[in-house]
Amino acid sequence: MRRAFKVMALGAAMAAAMFCTQAFAADTIKIGMLAPLTGFAAADGYSAHESVKMAVEKVNKAGGVLGKKVELICYDDAADPKQSVPLAQKLIGQDKVVGFVAGSYSLPTRAVSAIFNDAEIPLISAYALHPDITKGDYTFRNGFLGTVEGKGAAEVAVKMLKAKKIAVIVSDNDFGTTLLQGFDEYVKANPGVKIVSRQKYATSEKDFKPYLSKMKKDNPDVLFFSGYYFQLSPAIKQAKEMGIKIQFIGEEGADSPKTAEIGGAAAEGLIIVTNLNRDDKRPTVQEFLKTYRAKTKIEPDMVGASAYDAFMLLIESIKKAKTTDGKAVVKALAATKNYDGITGRFKGFDKDGEVVKPIQVQILKNGVFRYYGEITDSKLITPSK
Amino acid sequence: MDLFLEQLLNGLAAGAMYSLITLGLALIYGVMKILHVAHASVYTTGAYIGLVTYTQTGSLLAAFLVSMVFCAVLGVLIERFVYFPLLKYPAYVPLISSIALMIAIEELCRVFAGPEVRTFPAELPFSDISVCGVTVSSTLIAVYAVSALVLFLLWLLMTKTELGLAMRAVSQDMETASALGVATHRTVAITFVIGSAIAAVAGILVGIYYNQVYPMMGEVPAYKTLALIVVGGMGSAPGAVLASMLLGVAETFLIGYTNIPMPRDALAFIAMIIILMWRPTGLLGKR
Repeated sequence: MRRAFKVMALGAAMAAAMFCTQAFAADTIKIGMLAPLTGFAAADGYSAHESVKMAVEKVNKAGGVLGKKVELICYDDAADPKQSVPLAQKLIGQDKVVGFVAGSYSLPTRAVSAIFNDAEIPLISAYALHPDITKGDYTFRNGFLGTVEGKGAAEVAVKMLKAKKIAVIVSDNDFGTTLLQGFDEYVKANPGVKIVSRQKYATSEKDFKPYLSKMKKDNPDVLFFSGYYFQLSPAIKQAKEMGIKIQFIGEEGADSPKTAEIGGAAAEGLIIVTNLNRDDKRPTVQEFLKTYRAKTKIEPDMVGASAYDAFMLLIESIKKAKTTDGKAVVKALAATKNYDGITGRFKGFDKDGEVVKPIQVQILKNGVFRYYGEITDSKLITPSK
Repeated sequence: MDLFLEQLLNGLAAGAMYSLITLGLALIYGVMKILHVAHASVYTTGAYIGLVTYTQTGSLLAAFLVSMVFCAVLGVLIERFVYFPLLKYPAYVPLISSIALMIAIEELCRVFAGPEVRTFPAELPFSDISVCGVTVSSTLIAVYAVSALVLFLLWLLMTKTELGLAMRAVSQDMETASALGVATHRTVAITFVIGSAIAAVAGILVGIYYNQVYPMMGEVPAYKTLALIVVGGMGSAPGAVLASMLLGVAETFLIGYTNIPMPRDALAFIAMIIILMWRPTGLLGKR
């Protein structure tokens, strides 16, 4: 008897729960998101998730969109494509999201971009930079295409630092090879500049001393080191331990408060190309930076800022389209002009859905990234696939 | 010449760190004939306990001691409650349990310490030195000094004490050793204590050397040490050290002088295959 009662109670509770979620569902606009909340990329996932939550709060405080509140459904993909694919299907099939913020790395994002495209749900990749992600009509990118950012890094080396002999050490994955491709294109177009040392390292690498020893022998002026903060910071620290004095140029993978934490004093003076300028005077940017610091007690990074922008772009486009219908939202997205984002003033998207905006050059001073320069040359920042 | 010396120093440091992780695995395989994959997660735990102790007390010595004791206890618990009850089953049963245990401990580290990379901001009691124009950093010196000390103490223990004799006897033939009056189960437990304590030392050293401690730091060592004990000669402690040093130097030179973008972990397995084709019992293994 007691058991039967328990079963009935449980059944009633479940029915109530289902009814609640359904009733609730009808009243919100659902935006899906995947981010690596656990695993090796967890710090990035945290930053992306917290930033988008801030954006949701802001939108809802201002009354939501189309008269409804916005609801964010974020799952953890651990930066693993095996995990991201079923979660994308869950977001589409079960949660019925109307837009998607790709808050994860290239590999898992590549795996899901076609799925969202087929479902005719607009996708904005926050910071994953592989070219294939934006192949579809419903896919956009708010971060830089790998080749654009690679060219930006080369511009820093050649124009800003006046280097003639350049060493490159890049991560041997999607991320590193597309960056290098852009870097190479730029160097080839500049006679008199040479890449004197070129090495690739496996993503699991922790010990960069053999690479640095070898690089030193060719006596380069600067080193372009592509990699995430957990790769660049040990490398820069090891270089200092070995007595190697060379200017490191990193990219957005190193745009993390962890870079200064792991690299310590050795990381001071590191220059990176990224899309977040901490010294941007615009109030929207300063408000974002302030809120993020207050909320999380850590320094904001480009991952969070890019995810914030991706989400806001989706919301703006839904507002403009006055509907959540994928086709209309995509049309509004594609028509974006001079958008005031946290990660710079967007000129707009090109026909492939690639963002056109200035590249930010930041330097690490006293443990925080500060303004060093900005690349606005439209020949460089306009993607060419 | 500088380049050569530098690469050699780097390679020896990598080898020394491999040695410390692999030793426990070799010793334990020696006495128990179990592939203790979860040893790598004991190493991760060691790094975390060391880090926590260091941030609380500011003493590196305390960090090493607390972490060694903690890991020794963890090792004995694993032996008593996981491997011992499973000894009567075929070898793959404890192996699979060991893999499960490895994942469980790794996840526990993640739950308790968080998924992100932690730094190990150790203040070392000595500074960098310069030898023949090559800078030897304080972290390198720490790796050499601590590994040499551990290896020396272990050598004394294995060759000069009755306990060492018992360990060698059990690893040759457990039943005969038992019949001759060696307390085999106690010897096995002590082997876990020693192996796990050394893993704790390895965890802290690696944490300081790369300034990173994170839940998945044991993942690569988990399979790499397997290759190393096979190459060294299953269960041979000197073999494990020799194989580790050779591998550390070999992979560093391969990276430093050639341009193969292959993970160094893949090189370890290629080396393993080549050595096993040449010497099926491993470098110092006896049949």
